[in-house]
Formats: sequence, structure tokens, C-alpha cells
Amino acid sequence: MNFSFLLDPYYQSLLLQGLFVTLVLALLAVFIGTLLALGLAIVRMSSFKPLKFIVVAYVEIIRGTPIVVQLIIMYSLLRLPVMLINNFDISPFIPGMFTLFINSSAYMSEVVRAGVASVDKGQSEAGRSLGLTQGQTFRKIILPQAIKNILPALGNEFVTLIKETSVLMYSGVAELTYQASMIKSETYSFMESYLVAAVLYFALTFPTSKLMAYLERRMKKADAK
Amino acid sequence: MPNNVIEVRQITKVFKDGTKALDDVSLDIVKNQVTVIIGPSGSGKSTLLRTLNLLEIPSSGQVFFEGTDLTSKGLDMNKHREKMGMVFQGFYLFPHLSVLDNLTVAPITVKKESPETAINRAKILLKQVGLSEKEQSYPNQLSGGQKQRIAIARALCMEPDVMLFDEPTSALDPEMIGEVLNVMRSLANQGMTMVVVTHEMGFAKEFGDHIVVMDQGKIIEEGTPEIIFNTPKNKRTQEFLRRVIEKA
Repeated sequence: MNFSFLLDPYYQSLLLQGLFVTLVLALLAVFIGTLLALGLAIVRMSSFKPLKFIVVAYVEIIRGTPIVVQLIIMYSLLRLPVMLINNFDISPFIPGMFTLFINSSAYMSEVVRAGVASVDKGQSEAGRSLGLTQGQTFRKIILPQAIKNILPALGNEFVTLIKETSVLMYSGVAELTYQASMIKSETYSFMESYLVAAVLYFALTFPTSKLMAYLERRMKKADAK
Repeated sequence: MPNNVIEVRQITKVFKDGTKALDDVSLDIVKNQVTVIIGPSGSGKSTLLRTLNLLEIPSSGQVFFEGTDLTSKGLDMNKHREKMGMVFQGFYLFPHLSVLDNLTVAPITVKKESPETAINRAKILLKQVGLSEKEQSYPNQLSGGQKQRIAIARALCMEPDVMLFDEPTSALDPEMIGEVLNVMRSLANQGMTMVVVTHEMGFAKEFGDHIVVMDQGKIIEEGTPEIIFNTPKNKRTQEFLRRVIEKA
């Protein structure tokens, strides 16, 4: 085993950059994915059948196909030219980000829907009986209560997304797995490069899931008092 | 007819599963009166109450509130709902909001009141229901009786013209029923127009101005408490009252 590349500042910076890109991608995906999911869940709960059907189909198709395949399709669909920002080509990011957003929105929409459905129907009747509109009742009464049910799943989705960002190496996004493969081809330390990547992924996901479990316990306690 | 706050005209309610909850019901709710709806469970009392503010949409028939047909198409129901306070069997306080916020969320959101105005009124109402010291508490820190008193105050915060009570004491432990009935009693004494679905015959006798007896989705008898409780004409009314009094 030869981990000497870890001492080289050049490789250190590659790994750190990769870690940073991975983290930013996962954060963006969970944030935007959840916003999209909220819209999807609202449409799904509405009484307008054709739109409802489209949303259900979208969710099922996205959840039923591998993310790598989605990425490749998205990549060839968009076929973006090189776009330089600060000498940095962002064109591979766009299909990658789209794929992540779409993916996380499909998974989160089910979670959001279940979270909203778990709020007692009486809560919305109480809101409506006070003269609040349907939208006001949703924003002020239902959603704040639903978020409590959604939050734990949101943490899980974040952990999942940290790992799933690795597929973006196929579209040339310099995230962690991509950097590991670069180091591998330069140092020929095949296993070592990926072992380091694995440790770094775990260093992100493990504390995140522990933190979420802690928050969940605290919320339960606050409920019980 | 200016004395009628609500007029129900020949409403029928058939649920999706085919059960007929209301069958050709007509009723007048008179201003400043306490109308009490009684009857065996499953008789349609709660459904009737819920059609008054259209939480339940009647399958046919009309509901007039202060002269407006609530069942007409394109009507802004929210404008009318804010004038009809409702108190539920299950309280339904908003658990994520403090007591004070429970009381002010609707006045601020719907009536666009300033927070100061809403808070001032909320404090007065909390005093009225005897729970001033709870304004910073959250619903899960309150007893059932306290929750229901807060729920009444919350409905009153919108300064409604009529208050609807859907079995307000049915989910309460017996020792907490009194405190809620006291609040309702003082409301009745202030001349609030009230429609109450209840199993509390004591309250009905003492404070009801008009008693409505329902059975199988129909109003089978209505009148003053004296007539209904002392000389009911309908056989099923007699039977129902006998059963209720035996239980008590």
C-alpha cells in the first residue's frame, strides 16, 4: 500500500476540492430538490386529475430507473457547449445538477406528501373555519407541522445525495470520485486512491446521520413534554 | 326575517359511500339565541352543524347566512367563515404555535389586523376564559378543558356573529366539562348567537332557547326546552330522552 500521495500538497488540494464540490452539489440538490418536491406534492394532492397523473408518472419513472442512466440521457439531451466562468468550464455541471435535482425531487415528493397527509384533517378544518384560505391554511398551519415529519427524511436524503453525487464523474464533474480517479491515473495507487475517497465520503455521511438522529430525538422530547 | 342569522332550506347530504346523513332539513337560527341540537349518535347533528359554515357541502338545498346564499357558485366562502366561529370536539389548537399565536394568527392573516390590535384583543379574551397566565404556553402543555377554552377564545378573536359548537365537551374528562360549560354560559349571557351540538342535557335545559331534536338525518321535533323536555310530542323524542336520562 502506498499512501504517499496524501503528503503531496497538489493531491491534497485535489481531494479537498473534490470534497467541497461533492458537499455543495449535495446541499444544492437537497435544497432545490425539496422545493421542487413541495410543488410536486401540492399538485399530487390537488383534485386536478391530468396534472396529478403526470406527477405520479414522473415520480414513478424517476424512482424506477438508475441515476447513471438518467444522467447519460440528460447529458446527451442537453449537449451544452463549453461555458467558461472564471476559466472554469461549467457545462458538465448543468446536466449533472439537473439530474440530481430531478432525482431528489422525485424521492422527496413522496416524503413531503406523507408528511402533509400525517397532519390531522381537523387542523385544516380549524384553519378554514377561522376564515383562512386554503393556501393560508397550508402555509401557516399544515406545512409547519408537516416539516417536523419531513425533517428526518430530509437528512436521509442528504446522506443519500452525498453518495449519489459520485455518478457525476461520468459527466466530468470534478467531485470526489472524479478526483480519486485522477489521482489513481497519475500515481498508479489504484486501491489507495479510492480508499481515501471512501474514507472522505464516510467522514461526511456518518456525522450527518448522527446529527439527524440527535435532532430527531430532541424533537421527540420536545413533543413529549 | 332580519332576526334569522342562518336559514337552512331543505338541505340533503349524501356521503360518497351512499349514506344519507341529512334528509330534507330546514332550520332557522335566531339572533341572540342559543340553539341546541340533540339526538342519538349518527342522527346527523354534527353534519348539520358542519353544513352551516360549509365545512360539509350539502348535496342539495341552500344555506343562507345573514341573507347570503352560501351554496351559490363563485361565492368567497372565506369572507363568511370568518364571521362564524367554530369549536370542535377535538379542540384542534395549532400545536406549533403558542396560545397567543393561536389566537392572533387568523386576525392578523385574514383581517390584516396589526399585531398589537390582535394581541390586545387576544389578551382580553384569554382573561375572559380565565387563562391569562397561559398565553406563552404551547397546546401540549394544557389540559383538555384548558385547550377547549383556548379554542373558544381563538374563535372569538375573529369577532364572529355566530358561534358553532360541535360536541365541545364530549372529548373531556368529566371534571373538566364544567369549566368549558361555564365559558359557554357566559357567552350565552352576553347574547352571542350560538348553535350547540351536545350531549349535555343540563346545558340544553338551562341555556337553550330553542331545542332541535334530530333522528335519522331529519329534524323530528323542535321547540322551547320546556316543551321538548317536559311534553315532547314525538315518540322517538320521548324514547331518546328516556334513554339519556336513564344513563345520567
